[in-house]
Order: sequence, then structure tokens, then C-alpha cells
Amino acid sequence: MDTRKSIYSAAEFVKSRIGDLTPEIGIVLGSGLGKLGGLIEDPIVIPYSAIPDFPQSTAQGHAGNFLVGHLSGRTVIAMQGRIHYYEGYAIQQTVIPIRVMKLLGIKYLFVSNAAGGSNPAYKVGDLMIIRDHINLLPNPLIGPNMDEFGPRFPDMTRPYDLGLIRLAKEVAAEQGVDLREGVYISCTGPTFETPGEYRFFRTIGADAVGMSTTPEVIVARHSGIAVFGMSVITDVATDNPDDYVTDHLDIIKAADAAADKMSRLFATIISRL
Amino acid sequence: MDTRIETIEKAAGYIKSRLDGREPIAGIILGSGLSSLADEIADRTVIPYQDIPGFPVSTAPGHKSNFIVGTLGGRCVVAMQGRFHYYEGYGMDTVTLPVRVMKKLGIRYLFVSNAAGGVNLDYHVGDLMVIRDHINLLPNPLIGPNMDEFGPRFPDMTRPYDLDLIRRAHEIAAKHGFTLREGTYIGNTGPTYETPSEYNYFRIIGADATGMSTIPEVIVARHCGISVFGMSVITNETKKEFAPDYVNDGLDVIAAADKAASRMVSIFRSLIETL
Repeated sequence: MDTRKSIYSAAEFVKSRIGDLTPEIGIVLGSGLGKLGGLIEDPIVIPYSAIPDFPQSTAQGHAGNFLVGHLSGRTVIAMQGRIHYYEGYAIQQTVIPIRVMKLLGIKYLFVSNAAGGSNPAYKVGDLMIIRDHINLLPNPLIGPNMDEFGPRFPDMTRPYDLGLIRLAKEVAAEQGVDLREGVYISCTGPTFETPGEYRFFRTIGADAVGMSTTPEVIVARHSGIAVFGMSVITDVATDNPDDYVTDHLDIIKAADAAADKMSRLFATIISRL
Repeated sequence: MDTRIETIEKAAGYIKSRLDGREPIAGIILGSGLSSLADEIADRTVIPYQDIPGFPVSTAPGHKSNFIVGTLGGRCVVAMQGRFHYYEGYGMDTVTLPVRVMKKLGIRYLFVSNAAGGVNLDYHVGDLMVIRDHINLLPNPLIGPNMDEFGPRFPDMTRPYDLDLIRRAHEIAAKHGFTLREGTYIGNTGPTYETPSEYNYFRIIGADATGMSTIPEVIVARHCGISVFGMSVITNETKKEFAPDYVNDGLDVIAAADKAASRMVSIFRSLIETL
């Protein structure tokens, strides 16, 4: 599917709304990062619904806006609400916002998500730096290559920037926040994982599982954007009682509980870029 | 009539019209490492894909877009210079169209090659691996109404790669004084190369080499009873820990494939002589 036209027309539209601001940092405000959006000073709010030919977020707890403004002294563009594959969009559509932010000039991408812990040591509320991923979603680069963004066969040896991971650990140590570091596996959803699927993911080396993020990261890396990602662990796979149910509202609650420390962490990391 | 079959028949009809009654016994997909085999085909007719009704044109770097029909090792063969990859955005019907067209031309054997990343920690750049079995993580090309005239709804996949051809390949390699790896190829969509964790995953589930092609073609060939032989040239190595400056590069892949080319070509040429 050719999304080039949508990408360029959306970038033009956003540019026309933000005057001479040139964002250098993109932020996908996934679960747990909602409050970070509130820290952006005097944000210009651009609803996705106002952007011509742009996908609309339908996920619970996700608004649908770009916020452009200053955070920790840097010019940022934040996505309040992301587009998920499980909503029924083609995978190439879900990454249009990342391409748009690239055209606006971002050099860094910060992403967050809510994830199930497949590592048995993980607890609800843990924060995990994403060190690497396993992509079980369709690859967003399938189709004719957009040569102006990057190469046909992008390297994925280090999808997540080692320098940013190091910086995050320093900041977390200063703030007294414990961080996990692990491998994120993405699958389509929208079903939560069965116990058998959790076992599968654990066996193949995943620490946390979710339904987003890897397509965005692949497309960001394709065009040379440095990426930092973090998961908030909102449910765990192990030793669940017979009456256990994975519930979306519990997950939103767990993400909200971690929101303050996660937002503070991201704000400080961004201040030191 | 099923429009898929119409497309196949039309393309096969056009190619036949160019062959003066010659009937190829073997099809060869000249993937990475095999391109120079094309030069050894004698009495050749070159048919560009763009001349064939219903055929798309391959967009992958380093791939030409022709059928070459002629004589190799004393046999009439049809070789594909350039294949269609799923990552290019083609549907699976298009990716596998050439194999069904070659079936209509009469082939009984299919020879395939590819460039693959080594998943097995013992593998080195330039190694040749006979494909003994595969794990398919691409969409299955047989999804959709079954084309009964080609094969059954539920094809057996106990031995996707012909055991007799595998045995002969090892004998030929021994005669030439080198050894072949033998392993399991895992196919995924690409076009990104694998992350370290994806390499690890593939190793855990039993794969030796990973690539972005071949399996759809093999599944469709087996569906219609074609005997298959496949070989991977290992173009990059996996590590438990990658060096901080390591980069997986498409040009390195092409260079590594070229280096192994002469050994690979000699195996395929000698194998075809035994048919």
C-alpha cells in the first residue's frame, strides 16, 4: 500500500500549523506517559481528525492529537494516541505518524507502551527499558522501498540506542527508580495472551509482550532516527489463580500508577540530550 | 474460470510459443550466488518478464528479470533470473506465479538458491547449506480456494526437499573436495534484517539459516508434486554478542554470495547432469 501521498500532505499540514518550530524529538505517549504530554509548555494541539487523510486512533485511553511545544528546553512533537494494527489499519498506515515526524525533522524517538510481563521475575508496575525486540507483527516496510527515507534492507542489530539506554540508567539511578532491561515482543492482539502463548514468548527469549511499538521503531530506524523505548509492566503471566482475568481497566490502572516516575524519567533524559 | 489459473495459462502459453517445442525438465531459481549459472546455459532463449502477459517486474537489487530456456548439463532447463519477493509488496499468488508457470511448461524438478543469514553459531560467511527442511513464517501461498488441478487441499510437507537430490549433492561436493552444511531454513518477510533477539528466537526453535524467500516457491512446487533441491549461501554470521560497530549490510550480503558462487554453481550443474 502506497502511503507516500498521505505522509507528505500530513507533514505539510502540520508544518503550516507550527510556524517556525522545528521539533528535534518525537514522543509516542503510550500507556504510562500521558502525563508527560501535560509537561509540554504552550503546546500547539493538532487533532489527527484535522489532518487530511490521516489515520484516527480508536484505542481506549488514547486521545488523537499531535502536541508541539517545548519540553525540558527542547522542541518536541508528541503523539497523544497512536495507531494500532489491531484497530484494522494496514501496517503501513500505522506508521504514517512516524514518517511525518521524520519529515518535520526529529532526530530522536521516545516510545512507551503497556506490556505483559512474560519474564517470571517481573512484577506489575515494573518499568523495563526495551533493549531489543522480536517483531511478530507484519513488517511495516513491506512494499516498494521509500528510498528517500532509508535502504531496502535496514540493519536491526541495535534497534534501541545504546547511548540513550545508558543515559536512562544514569537518570533512573539518580531518581531512585529501579529499571528492568529486556526484550519486547509484539503480536497483533487484540486478544491478551493465553498461558500457552506466554510460555512460547518466554521460551523464545521475550521479557514483555504488547501490541504496538515495533512497527514504529522499525520505521524510525529505517530513516536513521535514534530510538529509546520503555514498557510499563501492567500484568504478569505467572502463577495466576484459576479465577484470574486479564482486564484492560486493570492495565490502565497499573500504567497510571507508574505514570509519575515514568514521565519524570523521560523529561530528565530529554533535558540531557 | 479461476482468474489465477487464467493468468498462469496465459503466461505459460506465451513462453511455450517461444520454445519451438522444447520442454524443460528442471526449473532453476537463480537466487543470490547462482547468477553466473545463467551464463552456462547453451542454445538459449531469453524471455524478459516484461514481455510475458500478467507478469510483474522484480524490484530487488541485483536481480534481473528474465526466463532463460536452454541446455545445461545435457538437459533442457528453464531458469529464472530474478524472483518476486513478498517484501516487495506482491501478493503470494504473484510471488509463486513463476513456479506454477514452470509446472505448466513441464518441469519435474525445481532448484532454488538464496542468500541467508547464519543462525547456527557454527556457520561462517561463505558456507553453503543444503536445505534439509524449513520453517515457514511467511504467509502460506496456498491460502485461498485450492487449485485442484495443481494439487491437494492439504499437501504433505514431511519431506519438502528431495532426499535423493540431497544425497547426490553431498557426493558431488565430496568429489569436488569441499563439504556442505545441511540445515533448516527459516523464512520471514523482511525487509528488515533480524534483531539479535530474533536470531536468538530462530536458533531456539531449530533454524540454522534465515532469509526472505524460497519457502513460498517450495510450498507451491511441492503442492504440484515437483521435486525440490535448495541451497543457501551464508552471507552473514550471528553472534551471541554483536560487536558495537557491527552492521548488517545489503552490499556485504551480495559480496559474500558472489564469493561462494563458483562452488555453488558447480554443485547445481553436476546435480542437473544426474537427472
